[in-house]
Amino acid sequence: MTNKTTRFKPIPQEILEKSVELSNSPEVLLELLSNLQALPESLSRDNITYAARLLNIPAHHAYGVTTFYSMLSTETRKNTLRICDGPVCWIKRASAEEKHTKNVVDLISDTVPSEWTVERSSCLGLCDRAPAILVNDDQAGPISIGETKNACQGWKGVPTDYSIPRPNEKRVMLANTDQIDPNDIHSAIKFGGYLGLQTALQLTPEEVIAIIEASGLQGRGGAGFPVGRKWKFVSQAQIFPKYIIANADESEPLIFKDRVLIDSNPHQLLEGMAIGGYACGASEAYIYIRGEYVSQAQRLKLAIKQAGELGWLGDNIQGSGFSFHIHVHLGAGAYICGEETALIESLEGKRGEPRLRPPYPPTFGFRGHPTAVNNVESFAAVPHIMKNGSDWWKSLSTYSVPGTKLYMILGHVRKPGIFEAPFGLTLRQIIDDYGGGLQDGSSFHFALTGGAAGTMVNSSMLDIPLDYSSSQKGIGLGAGAFLICDNRVSSVAFLRELLHFFAAESCGKCTPCRVGTWRAYNLLCQMADNEITEPDIDELKALSENMLLTSFCGLGQSVPISINSALANFASEFSASRKRD
Amino acid sequence: MQDVFQGAQAMFIIGSNTTEQHPVFGTMLRRAVKNRNVKLIVADPRKIDMVDFACLHLQQKPGTDIALLNGLMYLILENGWHDQVFIESRTEDFDEFKIVVKQYPPEKVSKITGIPVKQLYQAAEIMGTIKPMAIIWAMGITQHIVGVRNVMTLANLQMLTGNMGIPGGGVNPLRGQNNVQGACDMGGLPNVYPAYQSVTNEEARRKFESAWGASLDNKVGLTATEMIPGILEDKIHALYILGEDPAMSDPDSAHVRHCLEKVDFLVLQELFPSETSRYADVLLPGVSFAEKDGTFTNTERRVQKLNKVIEPLGEAKPDWEIIKELAMRLLSRQILTPDSPYAGWDYENTEEIMVEINSLTPSYAGITYARLQNGEGLQWPCPNTDHPGTRILHIGKFARGVGKFAPIDHIPPAESPDDEYPWVMSTGRVLYHWHGGQMTRRSEGIMKVYGSALIEVNPDDANRLGLNGKQFVRVTSRRGSIQAEALITDRVPPGMVYANFHFPEASANELTQAVLDPIAKIPEYKVTAVKVEIV
Amino acid sequence: MTINITFNGKAIQVEPGQTILQVARQNEVNIPTLCYHKDLSPTGNCRMCVVEVKNWRFLQAACVTQVTDGMEIETHNEKVTKSRKLSLQLMLANHPQDCLTCEASGECELQDLAYEYKIEAPGWGTKGTRYTVDSDPNPFIRVDMNRCILCRRCVQACAEIQVRNVWGVARRGIDEQIVAGADTTMLEAHCESCGQCVAYCPTGALSNKMSYGKGRRHQIKKVPTICTYCGVGCQFDFNVKNGRIIGVSSNPNSPVNGMALCVKGRYGWDFIYHPDRLKKPMVRQYLLDGKTKPTHYDPKCPDWGWVETDWEKALDITAKKLGQTIDSHGPNSVGVFTSAKCTNEENYLMNKFSRQVIGTNNIDHCARL
Repeated sequence: MTNKTTRFKPIPQEILEKSVELSNSPEVLLELLSNLQALPESLSRDNITYAARLLNIPAHHAYGVTTFYSMLSTETRKNTLRICDGPVCWIKRASAEEKHTKNVVDLISDTVPSEWTVERSSCLGLCDRAPAILVNDDQAGPISIGETKNACQGWKGVPTDYSIPRPNEKRVMLANTDQIDPNDIHSAIKFGGYLGLQTALQLTPEEVIAIIEASGLQGRGGAGFPVGRKWKFVSQAQIFPKYIIANADESEPLIFKDRVLIDSNPHQLLEGMAIGGYACGASEAYIYIRGEYVSQAQRLKLAIKQAGELGWLGDNIQGSGFSFHIHVHLGAGAYICGEETALIESLEGKRGEPRLRPPYPPTFGFRGHPTAVNNVESFAAVPHIMKNGSDWWKSLSTYSVPGTKLYMILGHVRKPGIFEAPFGLTLRQIIDDYGGGLQDGSSFHFALTGGAAGTMVNSSMLDIPLDYSSSQKGIGLGAGAFLICDNRVSSVAFLRELLHFFAAESCGKCTPCRVGTWRAYNLLCQMADNEITEPDIDELKALSENMLLTSFCGLGQSVPISINSALANFASEFSASRKRD
Repeated sequence: MQDVFQGAQAMFIIGSNTTEQHPVFGTMLRRAVKNRNVKLIVADPRKIDMVDFACLHLQQKPGTDIALLNGLMYLILENGWHDQVFIESRTEDFDEFKIVVKQYPPEKVSKITGIPVKQLYQAAEIMGTIKPMAIIWAMGITQHIVGVRNVMTLANLQMLTGNMGIPGGGVNPLRGQNNVQGACDMGGLPNVYPAYQSVTNEEARRKFESAWGASLDNKVGLTATEMIPGILEDKIHALYILGEDPAMSDPDSAHVRHCLEKVDFLVLQELFPSETSRYADVLLPGVSFAEKDGTFTNTERRVQKLNKVIEPLGEAKPDWEIIKELAMRLLSRQILTPDSPYAGWDYENTEEIMVEINSLTPSYAGITYARLQNGEGLQWPCPNTDHPGTRILHIGKFARGVGKFAPIDHIPPAESPDDEYPWVMSTGRVLYHWHGGQMTRRSEGIMKVYGSALIEVNPDDANRLGLNGKQFVRVTSRRGSIQAEALITDRVPPGMVYANFHFPEASANELTQAVLDPIAKIPEYKVTAVKVEIV
Repeated sequence: MTINITFNGKAIQVEPGQTILQVARQNEVNIPTLCYHKDLSPTGNCRMCVVEVKNWRFLQAACVTQVTDGMEIETHNEKVTKSRKLSLQLMLANHPQDCLTCEASGECELQDLAYEYKIEAPGWGTKGTRYTVDSDPNPFIRVDMNRCILCRRCVQACAEIQVRNVWGVARRGIDEQIVAGADTTMLEAHCESCGQCVAYCPTGALSNKMSYGKGRRHQIKKVPTICTYCGVGCQFDFNVKNGRIIGVSSNPNSPVNGMALCVKGRYGWDFIYHPDRLKKPMVRQYLLDGKTKPTHYDPKCPDWGWVETDWEKALDITAKKLGQTIDSHGPNSVGVFTSAKCTNEENYLMNKFSRQVIGTNNIDHCARL
């Protein structure tokens, strides 16, 4: 006995019932906590402690996890409205004249029934439905502040339709979306689904990796690391079993391509993962999907079930002797879990904090075993390469980087949304040839390219061809998102919004990011609302430099990209001589 | 301890609540399990804290250790997991031992101990196949009428599996008091001089006679548990007690008090007025460990230097000075042989005493203050000042030459539950308190955390009794009765209660019986038949 | 096999597999650390130990970065120092400026670094007004999370040294906080009050209640000693101010226990000053009166009354009574209980006393109990 205060308390029946379908491994913690959140006492301290006891982990572990993820709450709530606070929704609400006379959350709280808890959320990944909200688990948008009360009664807005390609689009992953029923594997098979896997199974794993390497496929998460090389590392590691993980945590503001891919054809992701598993020698795989994508997670589970029934997943696939099992793991609201080591930690039932690197996941990943973590889009490209060969993949483009990718165009353009095209596009082409040009009456002020951790560029960069190396020229491709802002948007206020996001999503592990993002956000709040002083600018620069040089992981290291590009490209707006807007 | 912490691949804890009795060693074991994935088996009637870290918990009925161990050895032999090379080269009497062990098939053992047969197999496999395995034991093994037999059975197991004399193996007793090892080493026992030189050995006696210049008694003296009843038998007329509290810590307290009341003269040298001090005629104020110099020897035979931190409080004196003063006064009654090097008592400081110890105690011969000052400590045997000390005993060779297998049968405890006293009570300490509680009950913070006696009761039993969590129970044995708050916990199995002896108002030793192990004279604290009632 | 690196401009050979910090300490270069402690697994949280490695894009945390062949390392150039200063400033922004009353002042690693790098707390920040001061009822450990710099050494000490897992990290970002269990009291979170977390805390966030206000580092003398409780033989230092013990601190050089102690060893020492302590020899009234011992114990009978006396008298009476017992009943009518709590020297003397002076082998102690 550790002390007298720790009295014997049996675990209540209702808690046991909520855990009955789960294993007792600590890895199920997130799921168990989500289940317990539905109880009347929600995630009370007692219930958190019971969860910890059920999984034989310390109480602090369960509590630390509960309070880490934004979708878990220690407070009792009946219904929840999560209001997207991402930059696209912010611009939409701002331009709809619903300006910050009052906090948006408070504004909406006033209009909806009292049993609804209204809270701010970082970008929901619904940028093409901005302004967006999450109504319990349901995605909704576009929904204005005034319409929100209807959302509580089931109004979900109108989703964007991508069935018809834009002029100039070259569709591979988005091909045939008008005809594929994402809930029916047969319609996917009709358009060549699982042919890539079939091809792969007739080759050796080494040959599969050789084809992927030859195709030059680069990871679509934003860093552009060659997929084939990563798989090679995993296949060469001598620790078993190995794992495949699809990173569907897509939590970066502006990015929603994985959601669209899953919603239009989930099977190409599953197929790509299976090919990866075959190549790497892995038989277990996880799709880590962000907690806000419940309907996409359900869609994936259905697709996995159907693929299993037809023998394209599960044991001994098509008699090949290769077995592959995919599990869907739902996150619970944390941008940092898009960082691959944080994702693995989260998958293991821990706080999503990044790990020390090296060792890297290909040698020390999930459960300490070799793991290939790839972006959803990377996996989605793989079946097509297997099916058609690496030369075909290269032939899709005349640009130096082969293949196609998904682009997201947002903001003050006529036709916002998603499209597929080769590399090497310029920002001007993206706006004019694919986005339908600027909206009437808009003139280009700046664009945020890549994602929230991307570059804020001015019109001088409109003609630079974009790929994973163009960030060296000052304009990043990142995950392929482009938010175009006209003169109505203040660059200072916009940067403030980005910092708000980073401060809200910093995991808190290291000092420069934990305090630095928060301080930079506070500074920018002052700068946006008051006059800007030289010391403010200097401090922002110093914080930015320190975050870049010393942050523990990519999150903190990439915050300065947006700060530095804004300071460099909009020096006059970030200057002491600037008058208040 | 370091070798177990760093080297053992498997650990078997039996009769040791390590994390509460030897907390820092307990945390080292927890670390070994957590960081090195050491397989830990805990055999204990209670679900002690260490069970949380174990891969297997053998929850034997109290007083059935021999049956359990023989049953495990039966399975090890049956599966051929024994270390034939070790047995042949380093032990004797294996065949006699085997005959007895063959009487303990798993089904029979399961019936005696209450442990499922499957768990016996699992445990035997771990013990038989993972090496080195360390056995860690303490008072849960010795405080039985079969205490010595228990210890010998543990030695049998370690010889059988070849785990003797290797780092990370061995039988590792955890000594209770901080210097119980040293007290034994220094001849604080009725049968031996320092370094276990027998009082009945002619040569040893002569050695000390010539050193001390006096003729010495050649018969074994009485043990503590014999001296006290000896008062009523007219054998003992005076007692000189240094820093002990038999009225609290000895079994059957009522009887102890009765005896102490009858002694002609009792001088007690103590820190505090204790339960025993009521019966004292003279109280001599000794000092705490912070107020004197000297050395302590820990459970792994490591001699370490104790430094005087503060001056003695009030007129209290360091204990060695008091003993010296008393000796000087009585010595004048004796005629001592002249020229005896250590006849006198004119010590100026403790270092001079250590010099005398060095010359008369072979295992301490090389342990000098100069060597201890750096804080490292030396493990005996350390026969000379160049010797680095000995970390592990019995490497390559047992102290007695070859290891002797002892054929040992299970004997039930002296007192078993019956209709009138249907429960079993076991006793021990808790993390926050120490022994009779003279020190810890005078620590403000500790009393805030654990300020009164608690009796552990199983939740099922609590339901049957109608206990709701904050009630008192009365526990009664054939010898006495105590009342204390019930702590409802699944640490104790149904039918068992656990009480401590830290609080005089509810000391478990009011209930325990003074039945002793025939050889070691250790009382059977761990099994007492009692009845439990709600107050 | 060694590898060649350039360390602060000097070419040196080092063993591979070491961290930059280990190499620095071997070469007596002082790289500042806060979250690092040699007993705990390195985490790289605080970013104080960053150094510049030539051609690497980011500064590297020396505590977790291994040296590789050809590495060129700068530990104190302008870039590095500037970064350390800013990181310190970020910590101080949310740290109270209460060194005046802080128990840790004088042995606070944050204070030392702020001094060394000449950092003032910035004008912004929460200045340590976020949490309740002395927020936990644990009788030994004083918790003031305002002073916490989130190095997580307490979390690790509890998990890796004590293996009890009381402390954990909750929430995230700027709201990150160290909590016990599910944000309960420490004792509810199964704390064993060993104080390991206090011993490893670099600041005053966790401190010892018993010594609070009693003495600072520069006022105390540390005297190494051995614990009086169980047989493990832990060493620690008594902190002594003006001849009085005010607390215990871990002695990292202890051969058996290192920094680890249990609740009794670290906090169970105050019995030394308990008013019950016997400070003068005492004898029963009947002995002073030269009477015979009353046959029954009766606390009300004046003969049984305790009388404080001087050592001469008490020892004379004792010697006389023991002598008389030997004379009338023989040496074997005397029994001697020596003590497993006393030193080897004292036990040796008790053995010599009973055998040489009294002439009996009736000596024993509580080894069996």
